[in-house]
Amino acid sequence: MDLNYSPEDRAFRTDVRRWLEANVPTGELATLEARKAWHRTLYEAGYVGMLWPKAYGGWGATPMQQAIVQDEMARIGAPPPINGLGIGFIGPTIIVHGTDWQKERYLKKMLTAEEIWCQLYSEPNAGSDLASLRTRAEDQGGHFLVNGQKIWTSAGPIADWGILLARTDAKVAKHKGISCFLLHMRQPGVEVRPLKQITGHSLFSEVFMTDARADRRDLIGGVGQGWAIAQTTLGYERGANSLGRVTRYAIAFQQLVRAAKDLRRGGRPLLEDPAVRAKLGRAFADLEVQRYAGLRVLSALNKGEPPGAASSITKLSHTEFEKRYYETALEILGPWGQLMTAREEFEEVDTSSGEPGTWATAFLWSRAGTIYSGSSEIQKNIIGERVLGLPKEVRADRLKA
Amino acid sequence: MDFALSPDQRLLRDSARAFLDEHVKPASLRPLWDDPRGESEAVWKEMAQLGWLGLALPEAHGGSALGMVETAVLLDELGRAAYPGPYLPTVLAAAALEAAGSPAQQKRWLAAIAAGEARASVALLDADLDWRPEAVAARAEPAGAGFALSGTKRFVPWAHVANLLLVPAQAPGGLTLFCVEPAAPGVTLAPVQGMDPGTRWSTVTLARTPVGADAALGAPGQAGPLLEALLRRGAVGAAAEMLGAARRCLDLSVGYAKVREQFGQPIGSFQAIRHKCAEMLLEVENSHAAVYYAAWALDARADDHELAASVAKAYVGDAARRVCGEAIQVHGGIGFTWEYDLHIYFKRAKALEAQYGDGDYHRELIVRRVAA
Repeated sequence: MDLNYSPEDRAFRTDVRRWLEANVPTGELATLEARKAWHRTLYEAGYVGMLWPKAYGGWGATPMQQAIVQDEMARIGAPPPINGLGIGFIGPTIIVHGTDWQKERYLKKMLTAEEIWCQLYSEPNAGSDLASLRTRAEDQGGHFLVNGQKIWTSAGPIADWGILLARTDAKVAKHKGISCFLLHMRQPGVEVRPLKQITGHSLFSEVFMTDARADRRDLIGGVGQGWAIAQTTLGYERGANSLGRVTRYAIAFQQLVRAAKDLRRGGRPLLEDPAVRAKLGRAFADLEVQRYAGLRVLSALNKGEPPGAASSITKLSHTEFEKRYYETALEILGPWGQLMTAREEFEEVDTSSGEPGTWATAFLWSRAGTIYSGSSEIQKNIIGERVLGLPKEVRADRLKA
Repeated sequence: MDFALSPDQRLLRDSARAFLDEHVKPASLRPLWDDPRGESEAVWKEMAQLGWLGLALPEAHGGSALGMVETAVLLDELGRAAYPGPYLPTVLAAAALEAAGSPAQQKRWLAAIAAGEARASVALLDADLDWRPEAVAARAEPAGAGFALSGTKRFVPWAHVANLLLVPAQAPGGLTLFCVEPAAPGVTLAPVQGMDPGTRWSTVTLARTPVGADAALGAPGQAGPLLEALLRRGAVGAAAEMLGAARRCLDLSVGYAKVREQFGQPIGSFQAIRHKCAEMLLEVENSHAAVYYAAWALDARADDHELAASVAKAYVGDAARRVCGEAIQVHGGIGFTWEYDLHIYFKRAKALEAQYGDGDYHRELIVRRVAA
């Protein structure tokens, strides 16, 4: 057991910090073009696509190096790269399951954010029970005709391509009749309608597909292999390491402490109130433990150990923590914490969406994490079955089959 | 960076588990509940033979010169076995002797502790149960060439079997830690039994107990940092023991949920039970990260070692109480019976939660460090 960073990792961190200090844009990235340009700059510096093999335009870096970059970016408040879904999950899926043609055609433009990607999995009636999805893809020979509706699609309005799960065979068991496609979003049969969230923002959309076309060469894996492929994608999504996120929470904690010094009750700073101190102490212990657990996962990843079902523990732990954390923050701040426009003396806080906002936005956003990418209940099922080896539940849909 | 235990540390864990599975079975705990000593002399001797009592002591004193990580590995296993005895207070006192003791004090005690011939304890609480070193109320008044100690020390673990007590007291020069032998004049021990039959406490009363000038551990008046370090080590050690108890409760619950049937199915197939077990695992794994991070930080004297010790104690105290309690819920009525073993771990975790600084104390320490 040795939790010191290696001399190489420390030197790498110094380089990253220097580079960010010299290059992080001042001011907001107002346009999509500006965000793409920043993404491109990060990519060329070697800080995007770090874990991708060099053969596909990546940097072949270690998970530790990637964590250091995420940590340093959080520390300095650097805007994140875009195309996170593409680079984090969809690209790696294409690398594992895609054809040479698909790799050649899509990967580089994904890395450079020349093309933005979204994920077309969830449907109005297929959430936790994703395998019951109803979007159909009919084999027309050279292409498939896609009809159906997707929902909760992040980056929908700006996406050029989407990774799609659709039913190609309605006669077989539901997990077996699903295929995976790469779908061009800029075509007449695809309509994207932004959805307004409880935060008032619109970071996800509904996507309607009416006789949309997916080329046969854009089928990933074979017909009927979509479910297995989706498991890869979701595994990446949940296994993503989280140190950068923990650093953002730690920054938010210092902001909370400053607010508790500024706000007064009974003529004294809130920070002197024993009840407030007890809450702060509990929140910080909770936060630090997330960091220690993150280091443990990172150390395993760095040795090449796949996170497997244990990544569900990380996802569950972080997202449930985040809810507790912002609940505590808003208890301490009282009505000040509910303002949707930042009071002058409060700093903006980072929300789990990666966008800065108010305490209220962060609090509202924290409700999303325990739902997206497999709800807490689904994670607990996975942990129960695959980590603890508890028996599977008797399910009505399996009884019918 | 490597968070995993080294091969040697894994070997230590595996051999400890094998030994405790054989010699500290749950069934062997019960006869000790009615025993006035409450611990097994034979097991203590075996632990000395295995090198556990000198684990973190220098080789010159019969030890193995290992660190807090290895000590946590052992305490994790001792917690899993709900071992009853003065292991933690003894190694804490030994660590303080090693850190600050005079050559004569070290010679007198360390080899004897490593050999299993002496037990020790630490008297950290005065009458008002305040963990802060500055709150020590016992007094050391000059008497002859030495001091006379007076005061009341509460909830001193395993004092009734100890050959040596480390007793903090306010001396004219300030807070000082004294080596006191329980057989000395003016020392009275009154047993105090809490709900955990495997944890024994005493109220130790000192009535002008004479000690020599050479009984002070470290420089007189300078015991604050020494006591803080002792408390940190105790906090991480207790967290490791609570972690072991919690993991045992999780294992028992998962095993039971696989075989106990209701409504024609194993109860583990019901989400109400499965989700509870998943939440317990999450708390156990986070507790593991907290304990071993803190143990490593103490060994490495990392910048955040004080913070990490308090985080571990505060977090694991809450987590272990919840996990052991939920284990009773998963088991249902059988888990509430005296015959079933669950209550042994539940009570041990609860006893340790209140030792070496409770959650409130450590949360306040955390806030002092991060919100200054």
